Amino acid sequence: MSMPNDDNASSQSQLASLFFEDLLDSIIVDVASEFHRISRLGLDRNLEDEEEELRLSAEARAKAADLSNSGEATSKYVVDIFGQTHPSVANEIFECMNCGRSIMAGRFAPHLEKCMGKGRKARLKATRSSTTAQNRYTRGSPGSAYTPYANSTSTNSTSTNRYSNGTYGIAGEGYSNGTFEEP
Amino acid sequence: MKRRRFRVRHSVNRPPTPDAADDQQKQPSLHEIINIKMIESGEKERLMELLKERLIDCGWKDEMQNLCRAFIKKEGRNNVTLDELIRAITPKGRASVPDSVKAELLQRIQTFLVSAAL
Repeated sequence: MSMPNDDNASSQSQLASLFFEDLLDSIIVDVASEFHRISRLGLDRNLEDEEEELRLSAEARAKAADLSNSGEATSKYVVDIFGQTHPSVANEIFECMNCGRSIMAGRFAPHLEKCMGKGRKARLKATRSSTTAQNRYTRGSPGSAYTPYANSTSTNSTSTNRYSNGTYGIAGEGYSNGTFEEP
Repeated sequence: MKRRRFRVRHSVNRPPTPDAADDQQKQPSLHEIINIKMIESGEKERLMELLKERLIDCGWKDEMQNLCRAFIKKEGRNNVTLDELIRAITPKGRASVPDSVKAELLQRIQTFLVSAAL
């Protein structure tokens, strides 16, 4: 009787894909409508073409640098003294040490907030644990950083034992990127 | 391209309002039944928030915004309707979702399907 089960499984995964496409389309429409509104209202400085070119040519002239980056369509470029430019949101992708997901560097701080501190789910999980070390460090503020439980459903409990001795967050041991600050 | 003079230009195209008589003769499909269950239980909203969060984390939303920006710059800021923008970025958007995100969401959805079918 394995045939009906196979059919069932594949039609189920088809159905799941349908729902996923549905969700994804809604999100795409959300992003597009948000951006469309910003652009029509003239709120996004990056969209102002002539302004950007004027600004860039003035900067280039002022710094006597002959790198012209006005051809790119992304964030506004500020040329530094070496003539280098940086995108406004850091692009590099790396792995979050708490939940193991790949995160963009520029999105890391808000991700960490949800992943291990400010988020409601993260705090709920922490209050269930009764280690006194945590109670000692917790100042009762919602921004408390000493709740090292990821709210992701895919993380299992062994990964949280790494942090359960409460030393996480002191002098940023092991986390030398310096982006995570104590509240 | 010359636009016909008599057609009013809408920023968003709405589908026509469905007739009440048609609805009563249709049997709801499995897809619709489960969709309703998903919405009523709140699972659809949770899934949407989860997908949004993951897509922001991996930089997908920023990529989409860059695409929008490029498209609008090319076409002219006041010439782009919302529909055109959506149609322009949807294929790229669907294709550039990372596999891990897609797998995670599909698994959540399938779990829900299993529990809802019982």
